Amino acid sequence: MTAATVPAAARRVPLTGPARLLRLELRRNPMLWMLPLLAALFWLGVYRPALANPPFWNVRATALQHALLFLGPLLAGVTAWAGSRDGRRGLTDLVGVTAVPRWTGQLASWAAATCWAEAVYLGGVAVVYGITAEQARWGGPLWWPVAVGAAGVATCCALGFAAGALLPGRFTAALAAVVVFLALGGGAFAMQNNNTYAQIWPLDVQGPFPTDSYGIFYPYVPDLAIAQVMFLAGIAVAALGALGQTARAGGRGLRVAAAAVTVAGLAAAGTAVGLAGTARLEAHGIVIPALHDAASDRPVPYTPVCSHAAVPVCLQPAYRGFLPAVSAAVSPTLGALAGLPGAPVRVTQVAVTSVVQGTGNSVGLGGPVVVGRPPVLFLPLAGLPLPGEPGTTATQFTSTLRMQVGPPVLNDLVGLSNSAGLQPGGGPGAVFGQSATSPRTAAQRAVAAALAQDAGLLPALRPASGPRPSGKWQVWPGRGAYLARGQQAAVAVRFAALPAAVRHAWLAAHLGPLRAGRVTLSEIP
Amino acid sequence: MNVEITDLTRRFGRTEAVSGVDLSAGPGVFGLLGPNGAGKTSLLRMLATVIPPSSGRLRLLGRDPGSYGPRREIRRRLGYLPQNLGYYPSFTVAEFVEYFALLKEMPVTQVPAAVARAVERTGLGDQARAKLRTLSGGMLRRAGIAQAIVNEPELLLLDEPTAGLDPEQRVAFRALLRELGQHATVMVSTHLVEDVGAACAQVALMSQGKIVFHGTPAELTARADGTDAVGDAPLERGYSAVLAAARSAADRSRTEASA
Repeated sequence: MTAATVPAAARRVPLTGPARLLRLELRRNPMLWMLPLLAALFWLGVYRPALANPPFWNVRATALQHALLFLGPLLAGVTAWAGSRDGRRGLTDLVGVTAVPRWTGQLASWAAATCWAEAVYLGGVAVVYGITAEQARWGGPLWWPVAVGAAGVATCCALGFAAGALLPGRFTAALAAVVVFLALGGGAFAMQNNNTYAQIWPLDVQGPFPTDSYGIFYPYVPDLAIAQVMFLAGIAVAALGALGQTARAGGRGLRVAAAAVTVAGLAAAGTAVGLAGTARLEAHGIVIPALHDAASDRPVPYTPVCSHAAVPVCLQPAYRGFLPAVSAAVSPTLGALAGLPGAPVRVTQVAVTSVVQGTGNSVGLGGPVVVGRPPVLFLPLAGLPLPGEPGTTATQFTSTLRMQVGPPVLNDLVGLSNSAGLQPGGGPGAVFGQSATSPRTAAQRAVAAALAQDAGLLPALRPASGPRPSGKWQVWPGRGAYLARGQQAAVAVRFAALPAAVRHAWLAAHLGPLRAGRVTLSEIP
Repeated sequence: MNVEITDLTRRFGRTEAVSGVDLSAGPGVFGLLGPNGAGKTSLLRMLATVIPPSSGRLRLLGRDPGSYGPRREIRRRLGYLPQNLGYYPSFTVAEFVEYFALLKEMPVTQVPAAVARAVERTGLGDQARAKLRTLSGGMLRRAGIAQAIVNEPELLLLDEPTAGLDPEQRVAFRALLRELGQHATVMVSTHLVEDVGAACAQVALMSQGKIVFHGTPAELTARADGTDAVGDAPLERGYSAVLAAARSAADRSRTEASA
């Protein structure tokens, strides 16, 4: 008989006993009934928020890891219901006197519930990543956040199932769901308090780093994710091991093995917490020295995408779609300064640069800076609300970025420190910093104010009339214009009123002395 | 002998549910009669390895169930129907029986045929694909019997198997018992003496944790001779006579003990 003539049924490899048990449980598991609800929760809590954000792999991956917050309580509740089945249904005696250790049967039931839950989660991941693959301009999927999410799903199922099996009752499912919800919420609270140990909580992706800041300029640092997977797997193994320690679970050898499994799981979880305690913030992610691979410290090579303006703007290709908006934001400021000595000749996007370590772990986003010869404006975009994010239009983004970029560029140009100069995003009454005005900074401030008005960073300056001369800038309520008082203000109004070419020529000739503090107000045209 | 019990006792706190029972049983149908609280269910649960005895010696299928390895081997060859049968409402009859066939470690290739045979033997062939939640109480009982016999057990323990069955089903079930008893030891705990009379070759009567009678149904019937025991059938009268004698003996011994 050839293979072709063997009946299909005969060719089929028979399933083993545990596999057939699993198949039965898969067919009749209560998780099956919850799939629509799980899918709806995924859609509401993960898919919609993820897709509402720009198509960055890191942003989408973060949302996928956070899925646990939405799915975890329900998963724990349903598996607790499944786990308490024998107790609730009065089957404890009957299933307890079968040859297969009860632990095996329980593991099959847990595995079936977990398979369905993972199917929903990984199906959702496939959809989100599939759409992201079509939308994203650069990069590829981040799998470690998905691994944490998948491990979290299995852990919630294990915890719920163990609770149900060990404490069978009508209210166990609801209690398990509430406890998991509170635990996830409590962990998130501890996480926000920047407790390093709390970073082990599976909702923490990269600590205080903005979601769009990692995995772009440098590889995603998986150290924390590895510890989280270890922690979650340890908890899951410990919970499942606890099931095997009941008298009905099996023989003494099996109970000893289950106890060993529990201890191993707890040890893994404890080790993971310990590792999280050694985590430190680095410039491009959370590093755990014992798990760290130096390869992830090397920058990711890329070819920037650049605009063709007088002052080109070069972005990381993942941000290709935002090039027009970024150019529109920086061009009014930089275009007017093009060719001036010390003015930026190029804008280059950079990663988050500043990290603050300590009791309050945080990441300073390190605003735009002008450095180098020729000067280059290094511009971090991570953490900014980008066009396409909920509540942010391209116009709002352009306006925000203009207010962030313009002041430091102008301050740098005229020689003002950022504390004494124009304030990024400064609103009425906060045009300049609080540092005392000296004759030197008065001229620099006047020029900076005039250039800021020209770049659209300030509303039109108008000379004020009235008896109370002052060196301050004041807003006139309801008119939307800054009233300039005093000599410094009068000079700024006058300088701003000059034709652009004249102003540019004066600046080309006097920027050096102005920066050095050798120009007085009276010397400004 | 498939069942060998010597001085078997089981206590629940201060209550002695089974008290120094000696019993042995080979292939055949063995009836276990007794009033409520006599200790029948506790005895069956010990025989089913659900609970261990407090004291005494127990050997099942030639093995000591006290240690896990032999107990597991006994369980492979054991069928058990508890008094209160739980079930998974979402399982079909066939799935429920298959589930227990797998838990009893039957060879996987034999499971489908064994499940079909067990379902047919209990008269549930038409209901094989029905969910358990849709079945009547009698049908659920038969599904429970099906799971108990799916592995062709050498020791079959049935606690109140005919509760909820209609007369026609009970007649069919007695026939099944007789058939099963040709190769296996079938212990049936019941209140219904007519079931015992119709299906059992041996019968034991329990009262207050002790076996107060052990013999054939005919011998039990004969115990009513010369007494004014009540009952609608001869076997019932024998049952009543033995119980009455056991109770009066117990009362006498209590009186003597207190005096």
